[in-house]
Amino acid sequence: MPVDKVTQVAQTKPLHGEIPVYAQYTFGIAGEKFFRELKDNGRLMGVKCPECNLIYVPPRIYCERCFSELTEWLEIPNRGVVHTFTVSHIDLDGNRLKEPVIVALVKFDGVYGGLVHRLGRVEADKVSIGMPVEMVLKSKTKRVGSILDIDYFKPV
Amino acid sequence: MQRRVAIIGIGYTPFRPITPELSFKEMMFEAAQRAYEDAGVCPRRDIDAFVTCEEDFTHGRSIFNIHMPDNIGAVLKRIHTLPADGIYGLADAYMLINTGLVDVMAVESHSKASNMLTPNYLVAHAMDPVYNKPLAYNPYFIAGMEMNRFLCETGTTEEQCALVAVKNKANALLNPQAAYGDRITLDDVLDSEMMFHPLSRLEMSAPADGGIVMVLACEEKAYALSDRPVWVRGVGWCSDAPSLETRDWGKAVYAQLAGDMAYRVAGIGNPRLEIDFAEVDDTFAYKELQHLEALRLCRPGEAGLMVEEGGTLRDSELPVNVSGGSLGVGRLDEATGLQKVLEVVIQLRGEAGSRQLDDVQVGLAQSWRGLPANSGAVAILSNE
Repeated sequence: MPVDKVTQVAQTKPLHGEIPVYAQYTFGIAGEKFFRELKDNGRLMGVKCPECNLIYVPPRIYCERCFSELTEWLEIPNRGVVHTFTVSHIDLDGNRLKEPVIVALVKFDGVYGGLVHRLGRVEADKVSIGMPVEMVLKSKTKRVGSILDIDYFKPV
Repeated sequence: MQRRVAIIGIGYTPFRPITPELSFKEMMFEAAQRAYEDAGVCPRRDIDAFVTCEEDFTHGRSIFNIHMPDNIGAVLKRIHTLPADGIYGLADAYMLINTGLVDVMAVESHSKASNMLTPNYLVAHAMDPVYNKPLAYNPYFIAGMEMNRFLCETGTTEEQCALVAVKNKANALLNPQAAYGDRITLDDVLDSEMMFHPLSRLEMSAPADGGIVMVLACEEKAYALSDRPVWVRGVGWCSDAPSLETRDWGKAVYAQLAGDMAYRVAGIGNPRLEIDFAEVDDTFAYKELQHLEALRLCRPGEAGLMVEEGGTLRDSELPVNVSGGSLGVGRLDEATGLQKVLEVVIQLRGEAGSRQLDDVQVGLAQSWRGLPANSGAVAILSNE
């Protein structure tokens, strides 16, 4: 018997579905320490791999280059430079943003890695790669232990 | 024992923006039916093992790979399923046949992207849940940031990137299976809406639906079953650091290392001279340039210049994405890489019709897994 195909779009009826998935994420050893310091003391922390001489931000307990276990913590200056950036005009739902957001990867002197965050107090056409910026934190009472405890990075 | 491995059958459904009349399982069935007919095999009798390459949530369901075997003829047979690009599946089949574990194997991948109502969220939920996801930006910001750094490090211009979109969409006009062929100008691209500066709308591939199945066989079976086998000369794959913070933002290191592996397996010393044409990932226009450099198909920092001088056009020395690429065909989720392989096979068989390249013996297919991944694979194919 031959297969009869649907020839009218009106005859196709998709079924709508959704997946309600809820989860919690464990910060882990490195994440706990990073976000406690950020929340309580407003400090950025990194961790050093003595084998590779790399300082990881965000911190982690293993080196992705040599697989050593990492335990040597140190404070990272809250000033860095824009390694790269984009001006995002689109929100998560695909709509155009009224106020585009400037997203950047900020790298810190001597640090392998950096932080992805938005830039504030600067016009998009004034941003350039290599531009020095510094971290702006939310006030201590508003910090909860999240990457959003950092409000944005602003030009120095 | 090292055995030669050939692709002896290809089957696919046309790549379309929407496919309202077929479920994804029926699409896979159609592609498989065509591939088995093309190879002259019965899957129940002749195919020893199967591999499929798909991601769960793109289908709006979880653990969906348990539903793979029936529609490609694999029930009660050996099947494994990869959450990876299709070229990884091709590499698996290559290894299993090369080492003598199986003789004939099928590789499947498909996209039913049109069924996904919230695609941005799929990518957003793949981001690091602690450091990146709470920012709640549209995850394509990664592409804008990567393009910006690539331009900065190499001196490539926005115009050179835009030319990739012009070329690939024009190439797609000669590919009857491509969804997004178009005759557009450089200004059309540059004037299209700015999405993630410096990335504009026409430099971003749009999604498409489609299923692809290939049948691979050892040399003995290939000669018995096929009069036009296309040989898998080499495969390679690599993952760079997954984190946004430590990855290389200028270079596609994953493609460079995957390419190096594939060249080594294939015994290719000078890719620029030995590769006749290439289908490389062009999910975003700049990606094609970044990948050409990583694959040593041009000198570092010169891919933009090469495109500008017409060095990757259909009638040039190194035609790139003559199928139309993802910009012209449409992006096919995890089947994106297999579409690249498919075009190389069609060209090496001499079955590409009005877009057929003259006198081609060796072609390269390369995939990038797409946002926010930092990994990819390479296959090198030959008709002799």
